[in-house]
Amino acid sequence: MTENAIEVNNLTKEFGDFKAVDDLSLEVKSGEIFGFLGPNGAGKSTTIRMLCTLAQPTSGSATVAGYDLVKDAAKVRENIGLVAEKMIMYDALTAAENLRFFGKLYRIPKDKLETRIDELLEMVNMQEWKDTQINKFSTGMKQRINVIRALLPEPEIIFMDEPTLGLDPQTTFSIREIIRDINKKGVTVILTTHAMVEAEALSDRVAIIDHGKIAALDTPENLKKMISDVNTTIFSVKITNLNTQLLEGIKSLENVTALSQQDDHTLKISATGENALNNIIDSIRAKGGNIFSITNSNESTLEDVFLALTGKEIRDHASEKAAPSSHGHGAKAQARVR
Amino acid sequence: MDLMKIFKDSYHIMAKDLLSLRRNKMSMAALFIMPIAFLVMFGFIFPSGTTQTHMPVGVVNLDNGQGSTQFISQLNALNSNNSYLDLQNFTSTDAAKTQINQGKLYGTFIIPAGFSYNMSHGQSADVIMLADNSNPQIATQIEGVTTNTITMMNGKQAVYNVVNMSATTGQTVNPQAMVFPYTPNIETTIPGQNNYFNFLAPGLMIMIVMMTVMTGIPEAISKEKEIGTFDGMLSAPINQISIILGKTAALCVRGFGQCILILLLAVVFFGVTIQGSIILAFAMLLLGIFSFVGIGIVAVSMSEDQASGTMIVNLLMFPMMFLAGIFYPLQQMPWFMQDIAKVIPLTYAADAMRKIMLLNAGLGDVITQVLILIAFGVVTMAIAVPLFRRSMTR
Repeated sequence: MTENAIEVNNLTKEFGDFKAVDDLSLEVKSGEIFGFLGPNGAGKSTTIRMLCTLAQPTSGSATVAGYDLVKDAAKVRENIGLVAEKMIMYDALTAAENLRFFGKLYRIPKDKLETRIDELLEMVNMQEWKDTQINKFSTGMKQRINVIRALLPEPEIIFMDEPTLGLDPQTTFSIREIIRDINKKGVTVILTTHAMVEAEALSDRVAIIDHGKIAALDTPENLKKMISDVNTTIFSVKITNLNTQLLEGIKSLENVTALSQQDDHTLKISATGENALNNIIDSIRAKGGNIFSITNSNESTLEDVFLALTGKEIRDHASEKAAPSSHGHGAKAQARVR
Repeated sequence: MDLMKIFKDSYHIMAKDLLSLRRNKMSMAALFIMPIAFLVMFGFIFPSGTTQTHMPVGVVNLDNGQGSTQFISQLNALNSNNSYLDLQNFTSTDAAKTQINQGKLYGTFIIPAGFSYNMSHGQSADVIMLADNSNPQIATQIEGVTTNTITMMNGKQAVYNVVNMSATTGQTVNPQAMVFPYTPNIETTIPGQNNYFNFLAPGLMIMIVMMTVMTGIPEAISKEKEIGTFDGMLSAPINQISIILGKTAALCVRGFGQCILILLLAVVFFGVTIQGSIILAFAMLLLGIFSFVGIGIVAVSMSEDQASGTMIVNLLMFPMMFLAGIFYPLQQMPWFMQDIAKVIPLTYAADAMRKIMLLNAGLGDVITQVLILIAFGVVTMAIAVPLFRRSMTR
């Protein structure tokens, strides 16, 4: 095994005029859990698809498990497992039939394949469902099969695209346990998520990715230290009559570096500077806002880092393309962090 | 070694597709109902071309002489053999015309006065057939039957006359050779009566296979792309060709199942006789699939989702179905349609299938069609495979 499971050099993917992945360079060490954190449409999935040989890079290069992505695509495929966002399984087939089908494509000998299937089903506590059709499974059960499917050929590297998306807390917990188990056995795990908690809970290192570029890359602890170093305070403000006018007012303040709306009444604000809190309170009061409570978050979370780095605006996929201003902000934040 | 892996993977993909199909009860039912429906539907909606029997026709005898009475009895005797007509006697032309107007008669024979006189005085005697040509098809049939009947009666009368003449002059002659010097003997390549199903069945077989494969390819591939399982196959160490091969093979199995059903139905219920080699016929089916599957793959590669893929395929498939001479012989089409038919691979496949199954043609007899189909297949696949590969890693 090479020291770096993955080396990415200036990888770019364009769809027409749109740069989904923009000049990405990074290294993933063998045996680590590496997280891509970013909003929807940031380019996480496209990066994963390229690294799995499912999409051709527009430019740049990468090696996966020591093999060139483009020249040795077949070799790359032999050494990776993929847990895609859309579950890879056939509804009409049973769990065992699904696993058998994919196992055969990986040239696993028959006897070994059967033992491997039993082993994996046992690992996720699904032995009794072995011969049940997938269409009778719950989402959580399906995801467990989806994960062990990727493990069939005992890959060196496993890619997981949003592995806990849409799962209930219990299943999410068990899937995370499985991911840790896999990693303990020496498998390098690359996962994408837009849930901060997940990146924080699982990853050895996290790349915060936005607009196809890396905004920051470090261990979750170091990332959190970054923003405390730059004298940022983070607090939640609960305003009983919260409205867009108030929101815009706070956003426009010099001190405010990031802002996100938590629910109908609560805002999470990152701010810098001496008079930050006073200015914010003044702005809210001046516009007739009624402050119910203010809480200071002493310890910053990855979410705070994310906010500080990717800008004020809470974006989703739809507004992705039309957000150049926040991009500029992200670049500024990145520069400041460094 | 690599080739073996390609074939093995194709086999696994085929087996997986067929297993999924077997679990889907509705698809399975449709699979078997379709060929039955097609055979029955296309077998019966087109006019069969055989003459109608028991057509109601009147007879009006205005002559009432010996000659006319003899004519009518001969007419009755002849008709009792083939029953084309149901003859009814009327005393006046008007009475018969009223019946025609009421739609109760298709036409009427009128034997004018003087008929017997003409006959006994060495002259040709006229018989009038008044046919109702408000329904042109029936009128044509009545005209045909009348002409035939009269011709036969003329023949009989002529034979009778020749025998009489030879008796009076003391000559020995063969009256048959005198009256009918030429005897047509119609023999057909396929024994038995002409049967439209003989024409239809081979074409229908290749058409069903085409429909199954052509509509199946976009369905099978786009569906997997949409549900995400395609990524599972593509991220595994398999050649993309295996996916095409495996999917096509699964569809071929489906299509062949339908073909066997058509063949059984056609032979058991529709009196189709198979003269040629069934194995060669199925080899021809395979070649047919090879010739047009590329078009389906191009359609899949160029379309974003299942709906548009299916639409493109339908757009290409319907003209192919109707212009390839499956239902009507090509020779009956106008020249420009025949020219279009010449660029459709299905035309050659259907033609060759018919020759093999009905005429017991060997490979050598259909070599032109075989070469054309191979050429079609090679060209379309040469376009389709790179397109498909590119579309996979967009």
